Amino acid sequence: MTIADVVRILDGKLMAGDGTSPRAVGAVVANDLMSDVLLYDADDILLLTSLASDQAIRTAHIVGAMGVVVHNAKPLSETMLTVASDLGIPLVSSPLSKYDACVRLHDAFLAEERA
Amino acid sequence: MAEGYNPTILQGQQTSDDEILANTPLDAKALGGDSSEIIMELLQRFKVRDVMKRQVICIPRKATMRDAQKILRDNRISGVPVSENGRLYGLVSVNDIIKGLDGGWMEEPCEAHMAKNLVVLEGGMPLAFALRYFNNYTYGRFPVLDSDRKLVGIISQRDVMRALLYELSVEIRKLERKTSPKAAEAEQEAKENFYRKEWAVVHNDLSRAGHAANAIKGILRERKIDRSIVRRVAVAAYELEINICIHSHGGVLVLLIADNSVSITAKDRGPGIKDIEWACRDGTSTANDWIRSMGFGAGMGLSNSKRVSDKFEIESEVGKFTIVQCIFDLPKAESAGKEGGA
Repeated sequence: MTIADVVRILDGKLMAGDGTSPRAVGAVVANDLMSDVLLYDADDILLLTSLASDQAIRTAHIVGAMGVVVHNAKPLSETMLTVASDLGIPLVSSPLSKYDACVRLHDAFLAEERA
Repeated sequence: MAEGYNPTILQGQQTSDDEILANTPLDAKALGGDSSEIIMELLQRFKVRDVMKRQVICIPRKATMRDAQKILRDNRISGVPVSENGRLYGLVSVNDIIKGLDGGWMEEPCEAHMAKNLVVLEGGMPLAFALRYFNNYTYGRFPVLDSDRKLVGIISQRDVMRALLYELSVEIRKLERKTSPKAAEAEQEAKENFYRKEWAVVHNDLSRAGHAANAIKGILRERKIDRSIVRRVAVAAYELEINICIHSHGGVLVLLIADNSVSITAKDRGPGIKDIEWACRDGTSTANDWIRSMGFGAGMGLSNSKRVSDKFEIESEVGKFTIVQCIFDLPKAESAGKEGGA
């Protein structure tokens, strides 16, 4: 599942970064506490958060995340888009709630496994 | 102080001592001369821009004298420039605050009471000029403007002394090296295997917080250090940077890459930690709601830093400082010198 797939699955819109990146999602972390996010030791994390701030992007960069999704269509600041572009982190805005986004991603993973 | 007011910070890249040296090649004449000649040579060779502080805390004209007082107190500085979009309007010093307390105008905008007839320096002036200004005037600091008259830094006597002392010590080392080839060899080897860089972290400036940790990650990746080590170092750097930003009066984050280890050191100017054991426990925090709304303050900062480090040390004195050091062991092949110089 690449960032382009994530955009499609979550009815999202790519707001910054490279939407054609071939990196696949290794794990999904849905969390609004950045210190919690820093605890996850997984590769290619997709960070799902309602924290629409630069810190979500900076945290994603620190853990080597492959992308960030801000759910509930929260407005994203210009600086957040700039930081995402500068650090090369694809940033997606989705209108779904955190729960619905998690369910859709889970279903998509199951479908991927079956295929 | 009125809520919602934040100081602006001029975020220039600080010139490191090594950069100063690189930009000011040593004149061989100086080595042969006596100490006063060396100092005169240094004063001409250095420019104001080489030694000034580039990270300047500024306040806007509408900020009150009370705001200015808090900035001076929180940052332990004796004067703050009043500046908007790089244009310098004036300066509020401790003397102005004392007059304000006496006269009862602390809640009035600082533009009404700041010093307006300022003596300023230009970045390209030789350091000798700055020294002459310090002798001729009683001011403790001078704002520094560029050729477009924009504020680019501030210089104090302490900055001048720091640069001169550092340079003199380098000159002395060079003289020693001339007489001892073996020592020169050892020093060259040590220099190749060390990399040091530090970043200033400003209290409550969450828009910049994480900037240093992101840079540290980039530096370590460039050096092709193992990914899992890079990640652990970056996590510690980020947590400590956020801690300085939200809990302290401001400080620095220092990265040191040595032959067999990487260390991250966070030093701040207080307020210090009363109970270190309590502060290092998971889930304990003194963060307020604003900090929590920004995604931090879960009380994981110190414990996360400790968890990812091979060696963790913390020292604090209430009202004075906190120093946290995280050390990460590098396998022999990861040593800093193998991937190029600093």
